[in-house]
Amino acid sequence: MHVVIVGNGVAGITAALAVRAKDPQVEITVVSGEGDYFFSRTALMYAFMDQMQRRDLEPYERHVFREKRITLRRGWVTDLDAEGRRLSLADGGLVRYDKLLLATGSRGRRAEWERKLDGVVNFVTLQDLEACERLTPGTKRAVVAGGGLIGVELVECLVHHKVATTFLVREATYWPAALSPEEGELVAAHIRAQGVDLRLGTEVTSLEGEGRLSGVVTTAGDKIDCEMVGVTIGVEPNVEWLRGVKTPPELGRGVKTDGGFRTSLPHVFAAGDVAEVNGRIEPLWYAAKRQGAAVARSIMGETVEYGSPTYYNSAKFFHLEWTCAGETKGPGRFKKLAGREASVRVLERDGFVTGFSMLGSRWNHRVLVKWLEEKRRTEDVMGRLSEAQYDVEFGRVAL
Amino acid sequence: MIRDRVYHDMTNRGVTGWLVSALLTAFYVVLYFTAALTPWAQKLGLSSKWDLYGVLYTVAIVGGGLAVIRKYGHNRYQVLRTSVVMFVQVVFAFSIPQMLKAMHQPELYLSYFWPLKFDYLNPEYLSQQPTWFIVYSIAGGLVLVPLAGAFFGKRWYCSWVCGCGGLANTFGEPWRHLSDKSTAAWKFEKISIYSVLGISLTLTGILVYSWTTGSKAPVVVEFQSWYGLIVGSVLSGVVGVGLYPLGGTRVWCRFFCPMAALLGITQKAGKRFHIRVKDDMCISCGLCSKYCEMGIDVRAYAQMNESFTRASCVGCGICSEVCPRGVLRLESESGLVQITVGR
Repeated sequence: MHVVIVGNGVAGITAALAVRAKDPQVEITVVSGEGDYFFSRTALMYAFMDQMQRRDLEPYERHVFREKRITLRRGWVTDLDAEGRRLSLADGGLVRYDKLLLATGSRGRRAEWERKLDGVVNFVTLQDLEACERLTPGTKRAVVAGGGLIGVELVECLVHHKVATTFLVREATYWPAALSPEEGELVAAHIRAQGVDLRLGTEVTSLEGEGRLSGVVTTAGDKIDCEMVGVTIGVEPNVEWLRGVKTPPELGRGVKTDGGFRTSLPHVFAAGDVAEVNGRIEPLWYAAKRQGAAVARSIMGETVEYGSPTYYNSAKFFHLEWTCAGETKGPGRFKKLAGREASVRVLERDGFVTGFSMLGSRWNHRVLVKWLEEKRRTEDVMGRLSEAQYDVEFGRVAL
Repeated sequence: MIRDRVYHDMTNRGVTGWLVSALLTAFYVVLYFTAALTPWAQKLGLSSKWDLYGVLYTVAIVGGGLAVIRKYGHNRYQVLRTSVVMFVQVVFAFSIPQMLKAMHQPELYLSYFWPLKFDYLNPEYLSQQPTWFIVYSIAGGLVLVPLAGAFFGKRWYCSWVCGCGGLANTFGEPWRHLSDKSTAAWKFEKISIYSVLGISLTLTGILVYSWTTGSKAPVVVEFQSWYGLIVGSVLSGVVGVGLYPLGGTRVWCRFFCPMAALLGITQKAGKRFHIRVKDDMCISCGLCSKYCEMGIDVRAYAQMNESFTRASCVGCGICSEVCPRGVLRLESESGLVQITVGR
């Protein structure tokens, strides 16, 4: 049997390793156009900031793939023929499969005002990183449009390189998708304290320049001269390439699959950011890893019904760490911690906890998730919050 | 911009890095094998080149330590650890020996123990020291050091007290990431460090035997002087510090130090110190591995949700500091217990 995986991101590689762990015989090939080896996309910012070199981004030593007999094939897939069970590659190559996994992840969402100008970048792929590195030395001012997690990472990198940066965020408070207005204010103040020109409630309306970017115009009517603009308005499943193939799988926002990651095509699976599993897309590192492991079982013939566990996530806004579990929106108790840039927010309904949003200190999400799953009373949890703290030794934050 | 590029070059094995390595190596060769530094020491009113070296070493630790505290000021573990390292150097490794010397007493270093300070369990040397020091040295080297290693991990010595580790974690901070993370390096480490430990134990045994029997064969004298030259001078000084800008700051500690080897064994056997990994929170970014001065591929454990204890880990805590998702936590407790949520 030949298992072919398109995409060498975390979902694809986790799946490849899990398939190998299950079966020492099966032939495994991973096809990728982006890079030769699996790299950690989450570390893109550290490479941009020169804290890591390219090779450091690889979570596995290269010999692992040789030892596990996982063939890595570099190339962009141009066609999928489900009847002939084969893929065509841009370099003219042909790859036959018995089972196929589509794990092509996300790509940066395009903005309506986006134009092909030198100086317009995303921050999702290795190619984006190269563009950013090439443009930075000639950039006096950069504009980053979109206040999500990728946006703030890109801003941090630019600030690191001492580029004057304007950060345009559509919403009136910072990241209302998960943060309360108080938390948003805390983060916004932290970002401004790093010297960033953060403008809330502001978007780009158009780009200026011919061939080379020269500035942006905002919804406030301001014109900002800049040499670089980062488009970080979120990500979307990377499915564009599937629209023109001979036999496209059924597409929604992503590649539609059932709970066993089976697409509409026979022997073709999808997992990770690109997959819309039972109507749901989980564009998260953790989810992609989980799905990669689960889809491997499905590919190997086990019955799999994927259900996502209690939600949790983490992020870092410059130096502010953030952990959440369960719900992040709704009524709750907020407490700004005295004397430091930190807060805790415990969400509740009818006296029971429904979620946590912890900013500026370290928390063990496992304990928080356990409390949620045990449906603990808020009073109980408030009294024992310190049990979930995870700060460094000697550094426990007073609640 | 130019400053950033020079710094990058110096800290990423560029031409500047090689140059600094050559200068450090040259300095140690001159210090150990020539008398060229003696006139400089005398000009400064110091009695020997070793005093000059002590001054430079202390300045490097204090200066580097202040920079480290500034860099990691938000992290109490780092601030405390670095403060202790600076204090031990200034007081125990510099002031007290200097004072003892001024009082015409033997120059004793209370922060060093056998087998790092090989003579401190060499009966020939030890028997000529004051009784209190004999007791201190034997109890320290054979009981206190390993016992504390079993309870708190080797970090209590290697990254809180030791001068070699102290220099690495202060002056050497800009180069910590250059340690080799490959499996091959780990294999070499296991062979090299336990070989040095074996040789060190053998030599100590022979010296104790020679001293009790009162006869020291010429071959033993030869052995001892070769050990002093290769382990004491070349590996710990010339190679250990000279290679900072090329192989990272813990080349000596990781591959050769017999004391680190011994403490590593007690750390593993003690089963108390470990690095706890928070389940399913690692994003495989690799900052932990990159900034591990001992070349441990921390990410390999973190992305597998495996809490772990490695013999080489000196517990500097930088993996935990740089982790952008707060996955890693240094802990000393009994066994790899998970946090228990009580009623």
